[in-house]
Amino acid sequence: MTMRRLFDLAYGRAGDKGDISNISVIARSPEAYQEIKAKLTAERVKAHLGGLVRGEVIRYDLDNIEALNFVCHDALDGGGTRSLRIDSLGKSLAGALLYMPWDSQE
Amino acid sequence: MTIRIGSAQGFYGDDVTKALPMIEGGHVDVVCFEALSELTMAILQKDRLANSARGYTWDVRVIAERILPAAFARKIPLITNGGGLNPTAAAELVREIAAKKGLHGIRIAAITGDDLLPRLDELKRAGETFSNLDTGEPLDKAANQAFLTANVYLGAAPIVEALRGGADIIIAGRIADPCLYLGALIAHYDWAWDDWDRLAAGIVCGHLLECTGQVVGGNSLALIDEIDARDLPRLGYPIAEVEPDGSFILTKTPNTPGVVCIETVKEQLLYEVHDPRRYLTPDVTANFTTLRLEPAGDNRVCVSGGTGGPRPDKLKVNLNRFEGYKRELIFTLGYPKAWHKVDQLQRMLEEAWMGLPIERVGYSFLGMDSLFDGLAALPEDPLEVIVRVVFTAADAETLKTAVRRAMANGLACPAGMSVSGQTVGAEPNPVVGLWSALVSRQHIQPQVSIVEG
Repeated sequence: MTMRRLFDLAYGRAGDKGDISNISVIARSPEAYQEIKAKLTAERVKAHLGGLVRGEVIRYDLDNIEALNFVCHDALDGGGTRSLRIDSLGKSLAGALLYMPWDSQE
Repeated sequence: MTIRIGSAQGFYGDDVTKALPMIEGGHVDVVCFEALSELTMAILQKDRLANSARGYTWDVRVIAERILPAAFARKIPLITNGGGLNPTAAAELVREIAAKKGLHGIRIAAITGDDLLPRLDELKRAGETFSNLDTGEPLDKAANQAFLTANVYLGAAPIVEALRGGADIIIAGRIADPCLYLGALIAHYDWAWDDWDRLAAGIVCGHLLECTGQVVGGNSLALIDEIDARDLPRLGYPIAEVEPDGSFILTKTPNTPGVVCIETVKEQLLYEVHDPRRYLTPDVTANFTTLRLEPAGDNRVCVSGGTGGPRPDKLKVNLNRFEGYKRELIFTLGYPKAWHKVDQLQRMLEEAWMGLPIERVGYSFLGMDSLFDGLAALPEDPLEVIVRVVFTAADAETLKTAVRRAMANGLACPAGMSVSGQTVGAEPNPVVGLWSALVSRQHIQPQVSIVEG
């Protein structure tokens, strides 16, 4: 059996403003929302993203659409054209977060 | 009474002709074109430096030539912020094209007042510090003063004024993205400037529309298995049907490919959003946590329940600063001992670049860690490693010297190494850094000027 990842419970999209990347995590079901709301803390997100996010991670909850929004500071290597990364706007960062192994977090 | 707003541009270079099926099919009452990003202003500045009559997005020409005749014939106003750094010159271009097309009596509005670059000294004397929103550093204290652009985000008011002045096409500069759409709503419904809930609903509407393809199936993880990739270039762009209370149906141009569903709306709702209870815009602070999304038929989602609070006291200003140059080279290394050769390459470059004033160097391995920075372990003995080396310097000449020195090792290199020919021939690219700040509203007076063609 393949390992469950956050992507199995949720989808999302990353957006950039300056050196901040926001990553939405949108639950695929009400049950999945309760699960990620309980377990997907800002600390976990920061630990998982490692060197990609050098600053603070703040979580905002949207119960009305069963989604979490993670605002990651110092996440784009200076932002925009300052960045030396190949994905300078961090378009792929939602994928980085959704790659998180899930069942090992019990 | 419902007003139907189409959105046919989400960035400089988007396919603005997606407005045609909206207009010719009779599906919209007004169309907005959102053309600017943080970076776009720096790109336009390069154009304006080369030619003072430029500085607007080239899309304005396409809009004038291909969309305006059909829109003018049906009295459908077009609204764009694609005037960028030079809305006045863009409006003049539109006037010339409209004259050639015989669009008699057309009213063309230019909105200015967002460009603060020529006013920085005056505003600093008036007490504005333009302190960096992230670091708190005052503008005057910055060691590097090479500011290329300084534009304040304007709200919807000048759009409303231009529409009430009978404008058929409105060319603005840095109006905040969702405020283009909010302006059309306020002009239609005459919402009060402190009717925070309706203004917030209008902002949500604009926010969902402003990235065109991203709400109809583009850039969608939710629909990754459903979307037929052959449809992506042909996606029908979004339309909102807005009611007097600010609730709206989000849909797309009828009889075109694409999907509008709860999932695509949720994905776009949080795009580039920070605190969803306080989404700051020049006209209102919007709260996204009271919204309700409901399916309302085929490719139709009803969005209601928007609430808001007073607009922020100050307006946001984005400055772009020249911060040097960057250059990249891509090296290919293969079996055997590919990692050992990566080490050799790194040492070789360090030695070759000794004494050069290179500021930053970044190594990544394409296909292995270039996106996710070590999220998964690297393979122990790979068949191939593609190494991307990026390096920066204050001047372009340093980077050219660095490339020459690296190339001089073409035969004295790790075994079997090659350099991607594409990257060898490239030119250094300018590095532009963003400096965000605030400015008091009292200093900002948008100007609307309307000429008749």
